[in-house]
This record gives sequence, structure tokens and C-alpha cells, in this order.
Amino acid sequence: MQQDSNRAQDNSSTAQQPPMLGGPGRGARGFGGPGRGPVEKPKNLTGTVKRLWQYFGKERKLLSIIFVSILVDSALTLSAPYLIGRSIDAMSTRNGQVDFGLLGITITVLLVAYLSDGLLTLFQGWTMAGVSQRIVKSIRRALFEKLQKLPIAFFDTRTHGELMSRFSNDIDNVSNTISQATTQLMSGVIVIIGSLVMMIILSPILTLASLITVPLVFLLTRTIAKRTSILFKNQQMQLGKLNGHIEESISGIEVVKAFNHEQKAIEEFEGVNRVLCQVGLKAQIWSGFLMPIMNVINNLGFAMVAIVGGILAVKSLITVGIIASFLSYSRQFVRPLNDLANIFNILQSGVAGAERVFEVMDEQEEPADLPHAIPLENPQGHVVFDDVSFGYRPDVPILKQISFESIKGSSTALVGPTGAGKTTIVNLLTRFYDISSGKIEIDGRDIREYTRDSLRRCFGIVLQDTYLFSGTIKENIKYGNPDASEAEVEMAARMANADVFIKRLPRQYDTLLSENGGNLSQGQRQLLAIARVILSKPALLILDEATSSIDTRTELHIQDALLNIMDGRTSFIIAHRLNTIREADTIMVIDHGAIVESGNHDRLLEQQGVYYSMFNNQFKNLQSQWDEDQLGIV
Amino acid sequence: MQFLTKYIQKYWKLFCLAVVFLMFEAMCDLMQPTIMSQVIDVGVANKNLAFVLKMGGWMLLITGLGAISASTRNIVSSIVSQNFGAQLRSDLFSKIQTLSFKNIDKFERASLVTRLTNDVTQFQMFVNGLMRIFVKAPLLCIGGLIMATRLNAQLAVTLALVVPIVGVLIAINMRIGFPFFIRVQRALDGVNGVMREYLSGVRVVKAFNRFDYETARFNQVNEEYRTKATGANRLMSVFSPTIMLTMNFGIVAVLWIGGVRVNQGQMQVGHVIAFINYMTQILFSLMTISMVFNMFVRAKASLGRIGEVFSEQNDMHWDGQAQFPDKMKGRIDFQNVSFSYEGAAGEPVLKNISFTCLPGETIGIIGSTGSGKSSLVSLIPRFYDVSSGKILVDGEDIRTLDPKLVREKIAIVPQKTTLFTGTVEENLRWGKEDATLEEIGQSLRMAQAHEFISTSPEGYQTRIGQGGVNFSGGQKQRLSIARALVRRPEILILDDSTSAVDAATEARIKQSLKKYAQGLTCLLIAQRISSIMDADKIIVLDNGEVVGIGKHQQLIKTCQVYQEIFQSQVGKEVQHAARF
Repeated sequence: MQQDSNRAQDNSSTAQQPPMLGGPGRGARGFGGPGRGPVEKPKNLTGTVKRLWQYFGKERKLLSIIFVSILVDSALTLSAPYLIGRSIDAMSTRNGQVDFGLLGITITVLLVAYLSDGLLTLFQGWTMAGVSQRIVKSIRRALFEKLQKLPIAFFDTRTHGELMSRFSNDIDNVSNTISQATTQLMSGVIVIIGSLVMMIILSPILTLASLITVPLVFLLTRTIAKRTSILFKNQQMQLGKLNGHIEESISGIEVVKAFNHEQKAIEEFEGVNRVLCQVGLKAQIWSGFLMPIMNVINNLGFAMVAIVGGILAVKSLITVGIIASFLSYSRQFVRPLNDLANIFNILQSGVAGAERVFEVMDEQEEPADLPHAIPLENPQGHVVFDDVSFGYRPDVPILKQISFESIKGSSTALVGPTGAGKTTIVNLLTRFYDISSGKIEIDGRDIREYTRDSLRRCFGIVLQDTYLFSGTIKENIKYGNPDASEAEVEMAARMANADVFIKRLPRQYDTLLSENGGNLSQGQRQLLAIARVILSKPALLILDEATSSIDTRTELHIQDALLNIMDGRTSFIIAHRLNTIREADTIMVIDHGAIVESGNHDRLLEQQGVYYSMFNNQFKNLQSQWDEDQLGIV
Repeated sequence: MQFLTKYIQKYWKLFCLAVVFLMFEAMCDLMQPTIMSQVIDVGVANKNLAFVLKMGGWMLLITGLGAISASTRNIVSSIVSQNFGAQLRSDLFSKIQTLSFKNIDKFERASLVTRLTNDVTQFQMFVNGLMRIFVKAPLLCIGGLIMATRLNAQLAVTLALVVPIVGVLIAINMRIGFPFFIRVQRALDGVNGVMREYLSGVRVVKAFNRFDYETARFNQVNEEYRTKATGANRLMSVFSPTIMLTMNFGIVAVLWIGGVRVNQGQMQVGHVIAFINYMTQILFSLMTISMVFNMFVRAKASLGRIGEVFSEQNDMHWDGQAQFPDKMKGRIDFQNVSFSYEGAAGEPVLKNISFTCLPGETIGIIGSTGSGKSSLVSLIPRFYDVSSGKILVDGEDIRTLDPKLVREKIAIVPQKTTLFTGTVEENLRWGKEDATLEEIGQSLRMAQAHEFISTSPEGYQTRIGQGGVNFSGGQKQRLSIARALVRRPEILILDDSTSAVDAATEARIKQSLKKYAQGLTCLLIAQRISSIMDADKIIVLDNGEVVGIGKHQQLIKTCQVYQEIFQSQVGKEVQHAARF
């Protein structure tokens, strides 16, 4: 965290450092020491950059113009110290008189150079802002469109936080790289080469004198960077540990307090905190050494030039103006050299960010519809599972050779312990996942031979976790059928027993729901989800633990609504509570991926098998009590 | 910002020391252009090589001193900022731990975490910056101005023109730029919002085939973000060259005026060079100052968020001396208790609740979601204080007692199971630090958790991942019950804590509780009537009111709500079953 913001800060400080045109000033470098953290290395630099280049698309023309402008700009930047030197020379002529002709010309040229530099920088910044944001937008859009094509399995195996961070942090890194690092890198390289060339032209001897310090700079950066990168990595690790502890003890604060554990939590916290403090201290001190030592080395070079230059000037081998220009160039030569390391870090983390984005782009999509796939129209709802096997991972089979048939308009209940494979059956039916072997048919045709869109449109699914979107109640109900009329919406809400509570809300159907309907009760959200399904008029209905997080009295209300929509539709019901499925035409008991029993409620009880004992376990007490009560009442 | 006083008192000396070194460092920086001008004007112009060497040596010496000073300052400032940050974080954490839930509820949990992590770090960095660049930049700026004026007062006229213009430009930049960046942030939140919704609702999106709609929504926020970000960046791209250009014009002016002065013999060439150097230095320090302001705005916001937590006052009071009378163990009385959450509008959550729970009794509490069951039990360990009425535990009004004392008697198993990273044994020791292995084993057995723990290869040393990810819901609940039992409490509260445990296991847990923990007062919140029907007393809650108290047989006849719940759970089965 710390090192990140340090980097951001460095980043902004480099961003705010326009090319320095003045004399041998100390520059802003002395102020903000870089806290260089461990840099993430991209795995395949050239490959990723090439790929990124494709997203530049029609921006390439503009980018080339920007590049040319940087080239011209850098040349201008390079000319400034020379011009200043010439002006100084104009002032220090032999006879003590200022050569105003020369001074006038150089100053005019300098003025023009500065003005063009300002305009070019403005042009670059202005255009680059547009270009980079457009590129980033198209990457973001491509990523989102990719998400639409990814199978559910992708979302099931990744945390939302991780995907979110690809959308924000990683793409931001890419944008920073494009807009800042590339331009700075270009101008930096040009300035370094240009300065070197100018230095050699001005005085090869002085060049040699000032270059003596370069190996020192490299050596120093290497040594310190090596040490600090380990320290920063360690700091990051401790920080992660501390954050974990904070997360845990804040979200579990009820338990902490209930057990009078506050003191212990504080002590533990302080332990981790202390370690973090020590590690952070070391990292900060070490990285802080870099700048002062660098200054000494730079000034060493400076002094070398002054001394050697002085000697040469004394012997009249060069002019004072040349020394002045030379000093500027040697500054300009060293400054981007220091910055380049920093820029390279930004560049690397940008490319690493792009790599993580491309990783998602490379994920396998839901397989395309078969070439001869036809849309499923006017479905009847005749479902057949024929010898279906499936595992989320090839080595762990979840369903083993499942076969059953649900005729049009019938209801099938799936019961069994958690992990038995009930939800998996639903996932296969809707093609959220594709089966490993066997065949699933709807209306006598393999579901893989229908287009996926048309297949899913036939299903209405009510899940345990109802997901509502931010928006009004009306928008949420219309989610599955955006063209529905107002009357239809209200009709659906009535059928779902939802209209009673909606009418009691101050803004009724226009009530805004916060994210995931936080302002409604669980039961109310479930009723809205049911209304949403009713309005989408599905041919087949799936209720996956639709009522299990609701108390039993509220469930009674919902059950009426559910019976309403199940009428005439082929439906599949997964339930934990057995009383919710007793009306089903067929009850299938699933265990360890196989159907162990099947039949209606009465028949299964008669069989006295698994279902019978499950039922007894849930109702034994109540039943005997009921008997007593009946006797008591009678 | 009163809470800062403590830290200021502790660190101001070291802080000042760092600033002193910083000033020395700045002075060294400021002296260099002057020395440089000496080298050229005196040494080179007079062809005095000895002087050049002498001055070169001085320059190196001063740089060296500056570097030593900077390194020392770096060590001091690192010590101050790191220790300060660590202590602030630690104090904040302790503060949160000691606040009552009434205080804590005012903040989102996630926001408390951010305050402890991001905000503290943000402010710590600001403090470090104060000792590194923030003080140095104004020093360099003022010092540069003084040195430049001393060097040549006539040239300084250009500075008097250029510096105010640059200052105004920077001020305008910030004034206009800040709202721009707020808008960018808001647009980014929009992108993240759509994204988060999409990820959470991906099944629904897929089930309803609403890709086009989602894409359109995303494109809209994406475009919005692009426009805002481009605007903000363009704004910045206008200001930076403008400032640069102003300064460069100043340099040109200095060259021209310098030329005129040198011609009149009033000035030496070296002064012109030195002056230009000072100008660049001033420019960069001005730029840094503008950065400092940005940092300051951010740090201020963080400080405000930290201060909010520190300013929370725990308004739970108690008599430090009060103790529980020895005579009673495990009795609870509710007398006309009403309760509402702070800031919640509308009807109170609990209305006029009165009941008594005798030592050793088992009380069942049942009612629809939102009827106030969990709120009721959270009052007993003094998580919240009643709005009116009185709660007595063992005959004492709990408002006169230190919550710690009350909580010692009570073990609560909350609805949401929370286990902590560590081993099973460590988690169980939360209940009682010095519990013997035997006690732990017995508690696990009573909670029906011994079997799956002892059969796992590491036994009691099995590690629990964060939030207990490696255990099933039912297993976590049983561990959490065992943790409560280790404590050997007088009062045990189970808040729907067997919902993921199957009926047979649940029955066994209840049996062993009865057998081993005699005299234990037990409050059971349950969804299933079968879980509580054999309780000594059942309290039926509806809309925050008690609508029935009594045994199952009584309630089934007299209490309508209870009958409805019963019907909803058995209803037809029993009639079905009755046929067999």
C-alpha cells in the first residue's frame, strides 16, 4: 500500500517535471526520494506490448504525430542550454563589451524555442489525454464484452475482488503507462543521446570527465535497489498479515466482545503492528539513502567538470559559455538517467497489468453454438436426462450416469444432502456447464443442438440468493421482459404476492432499490425475484432452494405464489425443507451423484427408504407432538 | 483533532530535529549555485586555477555535508513517521475494540477496516512528507528568493513578476483541478458499481439473456469515465506548459537584462548563470508546494475519518464497584423492555418485553424474520443498552455492571458463525484461556464436533482458514457451540446456531446439554419448532412484541402466531403421516 502510493507520488512528481530548460539547477529530484517497491515483472514483455499495440488501432496515426512532436520537442530542449551558453558567451567577449547582436539573435531563438516547446508540450498532453483514455476505454469495453462470453465456471472460481481489480487497478496501470511512461521514455532516451552528442561536440575532454560518475550511479542504484526490494516485499507481506488480522477482528467483533477478548485482540494486533513498523522503518531508511548519495555523485561530476573546465578555460582551450552549456548538458544527461529507472518500473507494472487483463481475454469462452443449432421455439418442456455424467474437475465426478424423464407440465423435486449434485443438474440443464458424457434432451432434441440464447430464454430460475439490481422495483421486475407493459408488471407482482408490500412503499413501483435490494427484507426480495420470473413467461421453471433462507410463515405466502407459476410448466425444485416439495409429481433423492430413490411422496414413504428416514428425522418430534395435541384437543 | 495532541507531545522534539537537519540540507542546496558562480567569475575569469580547485573542493564538501544531513534526517523522519503510524493504528484499533456496538454501528465494518489501513497509512505518509519535502520546498523557495535577490537585486525584479504569476497559476490549477478529480473519482465508482453488480448477478444476467442491456449500461459509465478522465488530464496538460513557459520567459528576460548590466560593467557573467540556477530551483519548489497541497487535502480527509472514530464516546456507564450477588446463578428478568437502534426511524424493535427465566431453565424464542429475536438476546450481554425498562441478570440491573462482568457469565453463539485463523484448539481457547485438553474434548463432544475433529489427521491442531473456509456450515456451527461451552457459562444463548446442523445431530446436542450442563440457563432462538418444542418456556415474538409465552401444549392452543408457524412447518405431512 505504502509503496504503491509512493510510486504514485513519484509518478506524479515525474509527471509534473517538464523538461528542464534552465541551467545546471538542482532540479526537483532532490525533494521526492523514490520509495521504489518491488516491481512486478511482466512475463512476456515483447509479446504483451505487441498485443497492446493492436488496441491502439486507429490511434496509431495520432500517436505517430505525438512521437514526431516529442522528437522536435526534445531537440528544442537540447538546444536551450546551448543557446544559453551562447548568450553567456556573447556577454563575456574579450573586450568586455557585450555582443548585443549575437545576444539579440540567441535570445530571440531561445524565445521561439521556449514558445514552441510550450505549445508542443501542450499539444502532446492534450492529445495524449484523449488517445490514452480512448484506448483504455476500448480495452475496458473489450474486457467487459469478454466477460459476457465466459462460462459460469469462470466466475465460480474467481473472487469478485480480484476481477474488479483487473478492471480498475490493472487498466489504470496500462493507461498510466501509455500516457506517461511512453512519452517520458521517448523524450528521456532522446535527451540522453542528444545531450551526449552535444557534450562530445562541445568538448570531448569534459565529456570524459563527467562520464566518470556514470558507472558509480549504476553501481549504487543496483546495490540499494537490491536491498530495498527485499525489504519492501517483506513490508508488503507484513502489511497483508496486519490487514488480515484487522479484517478478521473487525468483522468478528461480536465474538471478540462476547468472549471479553478485546485485550487479547489488541495484544495480537500490536505484535504484528510492531513487526510491520520495524520492517517499514528499515525499508524507508534504506530507500532514503539513495537520493542523498546520488546527489553527492552528481555533484562530484559537477565539480569534475568545473575543475577540468576551469583548467581548460585558464589555458584558453574553451570559453566560459561552453562550460556553462556543458554543465547544463551533463545535468540533462544524468537526470533522465535517474528517471528512466523509475519510468521503466511504471512501464513494467503497466505491462504486467496488461498481461493480467489479457489473461482474462484468453480465457476459454462458452463454446459457440453448433453450426446446425436451431432456436428453441415454443418449447413444450419435455425433459430427458440420458446417462448423464459430469464433474467440475475431470478427476472428481459429481454426477454419475443420471437418467430420468420429466414430462411436459410435471414437477420434479430434487432432495439430498449438500454436495450431492442437485444444483449441478440445474447447471447442466441451463447449459451453465456442459455435460461430460450422455445426453440431455428437451422436446426430443439434444440441448446442445439449440442455440444457447434460446435455450436459456425458456427457463425461469429462482435462486436462494435473489439478485436484484440497483434501479426501481419496476425495472427489476421487467428485467427478464423489458417490453412488458405496466399492467403486466402489476399482474406479475400480484401473482407473486408482492403487490401487497410494494403498494405500501411510499413510491410503490418506482421505489429505488439500493445495490442488491438491501432495503428490502429477504422475503420481499424473493417475492420480487418470483415476479421477475413470472413476467418472463418461461416454459420451464427452476426453483433452487428458493425459500430456504426465509422463515416458514413467510414461506407459506411465497409457496402460494410458486404454485401459481408452476401450474402447467415443467418445473424442477431443489429444497432442503421437505415440506416444500411434498406436492411434487416426482421426488428424486440424490446422493453422491446418483439417483437413489424416485417416486411421489406417498410412494417413497411406503418404500421406507432414504426419503422415509429423512422425513422422519425432520418430523418425528412434531408428529408425535401433533398426535398428543390432537388427543388433547379432542 | 484533539487526539493528535498526544502524538505531538511525544514526537515534536524528534520532528523538530528532522526539520533542523532538513534546513541544513536546504542551505547546502542553496549555496551551490553561488559557489558555481564563484568558480566561473573568479576562478575562470581570472585564470586562477588554485581558486577553481579550492571552490571545487568546497562544493564537494558542502554536498557531502548535505548528504550526511539528508541521511540523518531520513533516519530520524523514518523513525518518527513509522512509530507514529504504528502507534496511531494501534490506538485506533484499541479504540474500536472498546467501543460499544451503538458506536460501532455508526460505521460500516468495511469502512472501519479502511480507516485502520488506508487512512492511517495516508496520514503517516503525509507526516513523513512533512519532514522530507513539504518543509524543504518552501525553504528552498524562500531561500532561493533571498539568495537570488542578494546575488543581484536588479535581476530579482523579474522574479517579482514571474513568481506571483506562477503562484497564481498553481492556485488556479488546484482550484479548478480538484473538483475535476472528484468527478473522475465518481465516474470511476460508477464503472466499479456496474461491474460489481454484474459479477454478483452474473447468473441472473445469463439466465435472462440480458447481455445487451448490461453492455449498454457498462458502455454508458465507461464513456462517462473516459470523458471525465480526459477532461481532467487535459486540464493538467494546459497548466504545466503554461507554468513552464512563464518561467522560461523569465529566464530570457534575465539573459537580456543581464546582458545590458554586464555591458554597463555592473554585473559579472557568473551571476547570470547563478541567477538562472536559482530561478529553476524556485520554480521546482513552487511545483512541489502545489503537490504538497494535493497531499494535504488527501491527508486531511483521512485525518477526518480517523478523528471520527476517536471522537466516538462510549456512553455505556457502570459502577466500577458493582459486583454480582453470589446467591443466584443464571437468572434473567426482562422488565418492560423496549429497544430501538440508534438513528433508526419508525417503531421500536422491541416493545414492552417482560419475562423471567429461572436458573437452569431452557427458553425457546421463535418468530418470523425481523420479529426482534436476535435484538432481544443481544441485550442480555449488554451489547446494547435498553431504551426503556430494565434487564436483570442474577437479580442485578446490568446497566450498573461492567459489561465484562456480565459477559463472563454468558456465552453467546451468534447467528453468523465466526471462527478465527488458527488451530481448532486456539479457537476453543477463546472460551477459556486455561482450559485443559480434557475440557476442550468434552465441549467438542457435547457439541457433537469431536468426531470430525478427532478423525482429521491433525486433530485439535487442525488449522482453520480465515472465516473457517475449510469446514462446512454445520461443522463451523458445532465448533462455535463448543467454543461457547468451554467457557462453562451460567447462561448459554444459541442464536439460530444449529440451522445448518441436521435434525438428528441437533437433537443429540440438546440431549448432551441437558445431561452434562445441569443448572445451565439456555436461550434458544430457532426457526424450526421441533428445535424448541420441548423447552421449559417458549416466547413467541411478532413485530417486536411478545404474543405468547408458555409451553408448547399451551401455545398450540392459545397463540395464533404459534399455530401459524406450526402449521407452516408440519401442516399436511402430519396428516399424510397420520395415514400410516
